[in-house]
Amino acid sequence: MNPHTTTQVTAPAPSAGAAGGLAAGALPDGRRRRRGRSEVSVLTGLGQAALIIWAILVIAPILWTFLASFKNTTEIFSSPWTMPDHLRWENWSRAWTKAHVGRYFLNSVLVVSLSTFGTMLLGSMAAYVLARYRFWGNRFIYYMFVSGLAFPVFLALVPLFFVVRNLHLLDSYTGLVLVYIAYSLPFTIFFLAAFFKTLPSSVAEAGLIDGASHTRLFFQVMLPMAKPGLVSVAIFNVIGQWAQYQLPLVLLSNAKDKWVLTQGIADISVNAGYEADWSGLFAALTIAILPMIVVYAIFQRQIQSGLTSGAVK
Amino acid sequence: MSVTPDRPSDLTRRTLLGRTAAAGLLVTPAAGLLSACATSGSDDTGKKDGAEGTKSDQNPLGVKEDAALEVIIFNGGYGEKYATDVHEPLYKKEFPKAEIKHQSTQAISTVLQPRFAAGNPPEFVNNSGEKLMDFGALVKDGQLQDLTELWDAPSVDDPSKKVRDTVVPGTVEQGMYDTGDGAKPYVLYYVSTVYGLWYSGKLFQSNGWQPAKTWDEFMGLLDKIKGKGITPYGYAGANAAYYQWNVILTHAAKIGGADVLKNIDNLTPGAWTADPVLKAATAWAEVGAKYLDKSFEGLKHTDVQLQQDQYKVGFYPSGDWLENEQKQNTPPDFQYQLTTMPDLTSADAMPFGALRAAAGEGYFVSARSNNPRGGMEYMRQMLSTAGAKGFTETVKAATVVPAGSEGYAFPPGVASSQAALKAAGANVVNLMFDNWYKELDTECRTATNELMFGRVKAEQFCERMQKRADALTKDDSVAKFQR
Amino acid sequence: MRHGKYPFVVGFLAAPVTLYAVFVIAPYAQAFQISMTDWRGFSAPNYIGFENFRRLFHDHRFWQAIEHHGILLLALPLITIAIALFFAFLLNVGGRSRGGQRRGVWGSNFYRVVFFFPQVLAVAIVAVLFQTVYRPNSSGLINGVLMKLGLDPVLFLVRPSLALWSIIAVLVWQAVGFYVVLFSAGMSAIPPDIYEAAEMDGATRVTLFFRVTLPLLWDTLQVAWVYLGIAAFDAFAIVSVLSVDNGGPDGATTVLALEIYRNAFVYSKYGYASAMGVALFFLTLTFAALTLRLSRRESVEY
Repeated sequence: MNPHTTTQVTAPAPSAGAAGGLAAGALPDGRRRRRGRSEVSVLTGLGQAALIIWAILVIAPILWTFLASFKNTTEIFSSPWTMPDHLRWENWSRAWTKAHVGRYFLNSVLVVSLSTFGTMLLGSMAAYVLARYRFWGNRFIYYMFVSGLAFPVFLALVPLFFVVRNLHLLDSYTGLVLVYIAYSLPFTIFFLAAFFKTLPSSVAEAGLIDGASHTRLFFQVMLPMAKPGLVSVAIFNVIGQWAQYQLPLVLLSNAKDKWVLTQGIADISVNAGYEADWSGLFAALTIAILPMIVVYAIFQRQIQSGLTSGAVK
Repeated sequence: MSVTPDRPSDLTRRTLLGRTAAAGLLVTPAAGLLSACATSGSDDTGKKDGAEGTKSDQNPLGVKEDAALEVIIFNGGYGEKYATDVHEPLYKKEFPKAEIKHQSTQAISTVLQPRFAAGNPPEFVNNSGEKLMDFGALVKDGQLQDLTELWDAPSVDDPSKKVRDTVVPGTVEQGMYDTGDGAKPYVLYYVSTVYGLWYSGKLFQSNGWQPAKTWDEFMGLLDKIKGKGITPYGYAGANAAYYQWNVILTHAAKIGGADVLKNIDNLTPGAWTADPVLKAATAWAEVGAKYLDKSFEGLKHTDVQLQQDQYKVGFYPSGDWLENEQKQNTPPDFQYQLTTMPDLTSADAMPFGALRAAAGEGYFVSARSNNPRGGMEYMRQMLSTAGAKGFTETVKAATVVPAGSEGYAFPPGVASSQAALKAAGANVVNLMFDNWYKELDTECRTATNELMFGRVKAEQFCERMQKRADALTKDDSVAKFQR
Repeated sequence: MRHGKYPFVVGFLAAPVTLYAVFVIAPYAQAFQISMTDWRGFSAPNYIGFENFRRLFHDHRFWQAIEHHGILLLALPLITIAIALFFAFLLNVGGRSRGGQRRGVWGSNFYRVVFFFPQVLAVAIVAVLFQTVYRPNSSGLINGVLMKLGLDPVLFLVRPSLALWSIIAVLVWQAVGFYVVLFSAGMSAIPPDIYEAAEMDGATRVTLFFRVTLPLLWDTLQVAWVYLGIAAFDAFAIVSVLSVDNGGPDGATTVLALEIYRNAFVYSKYGYASAMGVALFFLTLTFAALTLRLSRRESVEY
């Protein structure tokens, strides 16, 4: 998705790196004597405290959700910070079976893996051509894609519904995946085009002289070289598409068995309000969050380096 | 992209048309798109009659027996079980060959708006809840089936009676809309709903409290409740402020007579700044200032209702769906009870006991669906004794079909609201503006929170509402209704 | 790059451009047209020219939303970047130096992992989570503690002066982790000998930060600003789930996307909603164009 559809999809543009702008004037010019050790330790102490507080701010709500998934409604509302009386796994089974969190989760996995793959394939193809080939209309097409970053998705919802319906793709994964890809293209192309530009052209020219076709050159030489950039854009797309809510809401409205996780959570959240099943809601939330924690914990190094490698070489 | 009825023979042509049109999107200049696509709804097809079968005694509405029927239920206070377990089986029994597609949602408009715009609406819709679709806009656009035929059809239980004669008087009228060529019934309001202030019979009994008859008594009682460490009065500002404007306006009607509400509905100039409205707003603003917990503005209706179930809130304004909605969290001896607006002064136009009651929970049939006759037949089954009885037994609420609740022992809350309704006699009021003009409803919710949580005075509340109503009067794009 | 260039270019662009034209451009083109009509979502619309835009001009809620975007546009990047920079500095160069190598404070890796975590949660989940965090009575995560301590509860989403800031806090909460990681990467690219030289001159950590780190990170900061700015034009999911009375109290937290949603799906005023959408489009575009121009850089080949 493009950055404004979700608050967290905020991305680095590929940059030449801070080091590129190194200026001598940045050096401190004073001839200050060493200050006392005390100032350093006070700062370090304050800093440590701030870090710990922020870590608590991040962990606490998530941990609390986890605990609340074992409580009953009374416990949740009467004293939020006490431990559950006993582990009520029935909340989990209710969320799993009655609220179908498991299915929504798998649906999300399916849709997001297909659409991210499609986005990366089509996005990198377009970005490559737009970044490295001169032809009539290049700038026009490029700006057409990039201007998509500024479109509020709401503006398109109802007309989009007709387009999808007229293609007979309503309530189908195909429709949703195609729409996800289309709406992820602006950001992907914006990011990757800049990235492809930074790749050395000598390699490409050498390849062409060797008689490689443009297509082969792209898949066998340029794509592998662009791997860091591809990884980071792919991660952004996964995160963005995973969090997408409006599009599936409109495009899958009549196929509850195909709903994705965000739809499911929102539905359960409203349901919880009407049925006062708050423990079920928090169990569902936990089921939705846990796999994310696990995946993130396993791949955090790759995810973080992937996200930033594009930004700072 | 015309919308033609979904007949098998048309399928290939339709598909072909669709594909061509879609491909055309790529080459058509933008100017052509709008007329060609987004708003294909009506002009080219006009009203269509949809599937039709032969009329007979068993099938007075002439339903095509194998035509599919799509049913959309608002999954709110009444749940969806009454549809899946009672009404749908009844229809299926009549028409075994018909396929029924059931769907439930809490966000009616989000799910259905695009489908209406696209011209393939579901046959039968329970349009209710926080996100209901604007009835006025639907009527104005000819989306709703004229239900005259249904009301004149013979009842399922007694063919010598028309359906309209088996329901509580006023039911048909309540769903009527006048768009300029005479009022026609478009909406079935199915559930008999009584509004009032709810309290726990047990809590009041154990403290020796009596619901108040006059305003002074009422304020005294609220003081006593406060003395016990209980929040005397509460409503949920986050999403249910309309429960409270309902109280203020019902009280205004009691003070000044039923015309106060009629004027508001009819957008009569000065309706909101009328003295009874000002008086009621002033009185309730005082309740807000003295007895409301400030945190309630940030809570949802279920949160506050849960607090009442835990004996932490004295009075709570709502309709009589409340008891069913809260059944999982209510202690067995809680005993929901309803009371009505106290007399503000002895000069009130209506006596103590006057209340707002209405047929609530709107259902309609889409005129442009494939099987509107099936939708009407579904309603006829709902209005049968078996249908009404099944509903009442499932959700413990009375319908507009008296035969359905005969002999049924209601739980204490509904029993008390039914008794109050009986006692009120002719002193029953109702209002329609929230169904007619969604914008005015939204504004009134916001203004009510401002008033009750002490950010504006009653005069400002009335002026603000009047200003909005005046703006609405001038807005030609909104269809106006009269009663 | 000579042989068969055009077939290749066309072949590579065909699929993405088609997809984009069908699913993105066409709907938006229609939306622009709808903004000139009085369409209420159902039957045929009437063309009414710029009437919707004229109305927009007098719509109090619309201007309220614009004002909130203004606040978001300043506050969200400023606060997020400030916090993220501070943490990134601590995590990378805040610790003692060892053999000339700057180190982060103790536990840096742990913090980096934890801080980033909100980023992988869907916005819908974050919003539901913060409903509980902000709950205005003793069942709220914050107010539960405050009330245990005998303090008055803070009405985060209810007090008009506090509501928008409570929303901004959630946006910051979610965003900080990403920028910590981003700035960390930027900092690790700064050659260590610069720090060393500076320290030899007796620079303190504060001086290091302002005189060395900050100037060298300038490019990365600009990038962060652009993306946080674009995020400031959205905020729909958080506001619609968290705020009271849908963007309340009395519009105190409303944003354009919410007003578009309300007008389209609650009032069925699709023409008017589209006009708002068009306005939002031009606002976002103006912002993006301005900042991109300001932060424009040459493409660098190595």
